[in-house]
Formats: sequence, C-alpha cells, structure tokens
Amino acid sequence: MILLAVSLFLLVKSFQLPSLPIVPVGPGFYPAIVLSLMAAASALLVVQDLLKRRAPADAGDAPRRNYRLVVIAFAIVGAYVALLPLLGFRIATVLFVGALQAALDRPRTVRQWVVLATIALGTAVISYFIFERYLLVLLPRGAWTGF
Amino acid sequence: MLDLLWSGLVNIAQWKYLLPLFAGTFIGVVGGSLPGVTITMTVIVVLPFTYGLDPLAGLAAMTGVYVGGSTGGLIACCLLGIPGSPSSIATTFDGFPMARNGEPGRAIWLGVWASVWGGLLGALFLVFLTGPLAAIALEFGPWEYFSLFVLAMAMVAGLSESSLLKGLISTAIGLLITVVGHDPIGSVPRFTFGSAFIGGGFPFLPVLIGIFAFAQIMTDLEKLNSPRSDALQSLAGVRLERFSHLKVNLEIFKQPFLLAWSTIVGLIIGILPAIGGSASSVMAYDQAKKFSKTPDRFGKGHPEGIIASEASNNANVSGSLMTIMAFGIPGDAVTAVMLGAMTIHGIQSGPLFISQNPDIAYGIYAAYILAHPCMLLICLALMPLMLRVTSVRMAVLAPVVLVLCVVGAYALNNTMQSVYVLLLFGVIGYVLVKLGFPLAPLILGLILGDQIEINLVRAIMTDANPWLFLTRPISGLLLLAAATSVGLAIWQHWRHQTRMAEEEPDF
Repeated sequence: MILLAVSLFLLVKSFQLPSLPIVPVGPGFYPAIVLSLMAAASALLVVQDLLKRRAPADAGDAPRRNYRLVVIAFAIVGAYVALLPLLGFRIATVLFVGALQAALDRPRTVRQWVVLATIALGTAVISYFIFERYLLVLLPRGAWTGF
Repeated sequence: MLDLLWSGLVNIAQWKYLLPLFAGTFIGVVGGSLPGVTITMTVIVVLPFTYGLDPLAGLAAMTGVYVGGSTGGLIACCLLGIPGSPSSIATTFDGFPMARNGEPGRAIWLGVWASVWGGLLGALFLVFLTGPLAAIALEFGPWEYFSLFVLAMAMVAGLSESSLLKGLISTAIGLLITVVGHDPIGSVPRFTFGSAFIGGGFPFLPVLIGIFAFAQIMTDLEKLNSPRSDALQSLAGVRLERFSHLKVNLEIFKQPFLLAWSTIVGLIIGILPAIGGSASSVMAYDQAKKFSKTPDRFGKGHPEGIIASEASNNANVSGSLMTIMAFGIPGDAVTAVMLGAMTIHGIQSGPLFISQNPDIAYGIYAAYILAHPCMLLICLALMPLMLRVTSVRMAVLAPVVLVLCVVGAYALNNTMQSVYVLLLFGVIGYVLVKLGFPLAPLILGLILGDQIEINLVRAIMTDANPWLFLTRPISGLLLLAAATSVGLAIWQHWRHQTRMAEEEPDF
C-alpha cells in the first residue's frame, strides 16, 4: 500500500517535470514508465494480499527471530555513523566494534572482556594502518577530538 | 589471441598482480567458508583495499575473491550442512551426508578438485567466446541494448522465489533509484525535492553495499542464539581423514560427461544476467541426477552431486565475467561490484572493452586462470586453519565487516554522504528482505537503470517510431524472450498455486 502511494505520488511529480525543446521526450518520460510499472505491480500485490487475507492464515512453526538484537544493532550502527565525524575514525571505531560485540554476545569473564577490547582496538588500528598509511585513504577526523 | 593470453599470464605473474590475486583468493576462500558471509559481501569488503591499487591489480584481487569464494563455500556445506555461500547450496545435499558417513576429507577435496577442473574448463569458454560475443554486441543499436536489458530484468524478476510481482516491484525500485538526481540528457533535477543530499543522485556502490552487505548481516543477526547457530558452534573443529588426491581426481575424471555438462550449465547460467551461482549449482545438481545411472543415491553422500554442484558454480564465474566483458552487464551481484570498481578506475566495460583495454581484458582472463591453482594451493596449505574459520562467531565477524563496509563507502570520495547513503539503503534493504522482496532484481535495476534510459532516449531521438523496438529482428526477439520469460513465470506460479490447492483440501 505504501509502495502504491509512493509510486502514484512520484508519478504525478514526473508529469510535472519540465520538457526540453530539442529532445523528443522529456526528463519525466522514463521515470513515468518505471513508476507506472511500479504502481501497477503494487496495486496487483495489494489485491493479491487482500484475497490472501480471506484465506485462513498459515500458523506454521517459523524459526524464532531475534528482532530486538537487530534493532539494537541498527541503533549502534546509527550512533557510529553519527559519531564518526565528531570523534574521528579511530575512536569511533573502537567504541563501535566494542559496543556491537558486547550487544551481540555479552562477555561474562575478564578474559572475554579482554578479547572484546583487543578485537575492538585491533580492528581500528589495523584498518587505520592499512587504509591511511598503505592505501592513502584519508579516514574521517573528529571535529570534537581532532584525532 | 593465444599470444595475448600468454602475455596476460606473464603480466599477472608479476608480484604486484600476483600478490593481490593470491590475497583475494585467500580472502575469498575464507569468506566463502564462513556461513552467513556471501561472496558479494566478501568482494564488497575487499573493494576499498583495491582503490589504491592499479586497475588490473584491483580486478585481479576481485577475480580471486570470486573464484576463492565459489569454492570456499563447500567447506561449511560438508562440515556443517550449512552452505558457506549461496553458490554452494547444492553441495550440501551430498557433501554433508558424505562427511557424516565418516568421509569429510573426501567430500571437501572432491568439491575442491571439481571446482578447479570446472573453473579451468570454464576458462576455455571465457577466453575463446568473450571476443565473438563482444563482436555480436558491437552490432547492437540502442534498440537492441534496451531490449537486452529488459530481457535481463524480466528473467531476474521472473526467477524471483517469492513472487513475480515482488520481483517486478523490486526491479522498479532499482530503476527508480537511478532516476533520482539530474537527468542524463538535459540535466533537469528529478525527485530531489530541493535537497542537496540527493541532488547528485545516489552513488551506486554505497547503495549496493547497504542493500547487500548491511541487510544481509542484519538478517543474520536475527538468527543469533538460534538452534542453527548453536549447531554451527558445536560441529566445528572436525579433522579430515587420510585419503588420496589421485583417487579423488580419478573419481572426477571417470565421469567426463558429468564434469563437462555441469561446467556448461554453470557457464550458461553465468552468462544469463544476474541469476548467480546458487541457481547454477542447483540446476547442475538437478541435471546430474536426471542423467545419472544411480539417481537414488543422490542426497545420501553421492560424489556425483558434489562434482556437479562445484564444477558448475566455478564455471558460473567464467560465464559472469563473459557477460560483463562483452556486454557490460553484470552476470551477478559480484560482477556488479566489479563493474563499479572498473568505473572508479575509469574503465568502460562493454563490447569495446576488449579491443580498447586488451591488457586488462587478457589480464582478467589470466587472473581467472591463475586463481584456480592459487585456490588449490591455499586449500592444500591452510585447510586445518579453514576448518577452524567456520567456527568464527558472528559477534566478532559482524562489527568488523560493518567497519569495512563503512570504510568502503567513505573512501569512494572521502565524504560522509556516502556513509549516510549506505546506512539509509541498509535499512531499506533490510525492510525489503523482511517484506519478502528479492534483492537481485533491485540490484540489476540499479545497475542497468542509467543504460536503459540512455538507450531508450537515444533510440527515440534516432527514430521516433516506437515499433522499431519490435520490428528490428534482434530487438524484437529479445523482447519476445522477455515476454515469454514473464509469461512462463506467471504460468509456473499459477501451476504451483493450483497444485497446492489440490494437495490441501478445504476444511
């Protein structure tokens, strides 16, 4: 339904694009074809879904999914991307790798915490040296840290 | 041609190319053997390392990843019963039972050797058929190109496992992403809504990395702590029994037809755009079972099943490389990344690619050929290590891969914008996967979108008669094939529904 609404909205927008005097087809010609295809397929999918809903739902024994973990992982990645230009690649990466590891599999012993910290530090240091020193890719510097 | 191939081999044998090729093959084998890490993800991870290399060295590394990954997947298949990469899916059917029957070494090495022979047979086709294919492609006008791209997308959308409609919508989303930004003819901004962020359109590679690598990892995280991942931890650390490599090879060459036919199946599937290694391995397995004198032994640890699947998925690589080099169409998601890498290095792939860049073209052939002995050497030397690799925890793997994805996107043009695009499309990709939309059609739409538009507009500017798309013989045939492909998919879906309805009585 959302896809149908989006495609119809953009389809209207594509008709509003200005045409060019020399070219026989305007900039909206091709997007209009794509959006018409998308709108038609989305409409058929909506009809198909409505028809399916009349049939009894198949309970099945679907495997257990850990969506909470996915939400946490997305939040940590989002924080990493937000902090990258502020803290710089090296600090943000250590924090990110450490935080995500801890979220996915929380360490329980001191040894596990040491392994986690080593992987976090190692990932940042190794990738920094390979990319910045060897491949000459200038990685983000932190606006807050200057590092 | 053989002179050029020889000079390509001599060229690739230099350390500056051999080292990236060897490293790429090693990473490919390791990445392939890790369940949940696809070859596409591995090649995406390797991509940023190639930015600083010269074009051929970068492409050699990627070719190595592709060949290594196609083989590496069989390790997890045989030991864990889980495909290390989707292209090895059919190896699981017989590899795992053979390993459970006490012959894990025989299962793995049958697969490795079948991969080597299948890949090298595929190389013959790659070297000798890519040129003629490119010559055919040179005869194509904008009408034919447009129709060819439509056929490619129709086939991929039609092959979508979930539904044809979702495949079509996914294709359309891919095409739609390419129209955001300035139009290619008059530079009129489209669907930018005045935003500078998307004013220049979405850069291709961050979108690809977001959709494939990010979405894939997030999907894998859902299954963390599930019984499957627990099994994965507990089964690792198997020791291989003693066996003879000579016997394994004799076992393969006792069935030359099986090896040759599986290679051809893999090659053809590879040439067809964006279908990929998983389809080729399953199709070759299916064909092997149909032609076999002992079909009842399949699924119980039969060597024929392993040989068919592994020979086919490595030959599939050569088919995919043929398509990218002759037509400029990626054979699958891995070659899509390679196409992106070529663009970064200023190389235009397509029918003129071989004649304009013979050193790179023959360098790729040579890299593909040499990647097989490299892969064999790596497997021979490092098999004990790789057996341990299958037990690397997702909690360690996911953050490292995600960091490399972020660096890969950032290093494209040293701006955070690419990283934001990566994250945005990571979320979109994950949502689409959860809603059951196949991602392969989206990627193909994304890759071909610009070309489709340019060829469509060019055809209309040359001659406004729209019937030319149908009346020009090759173009007409390609469009007919596209319509047939969609028609067949609808018919198959309808037949499947009817059978389901017949099997499940209405209570």
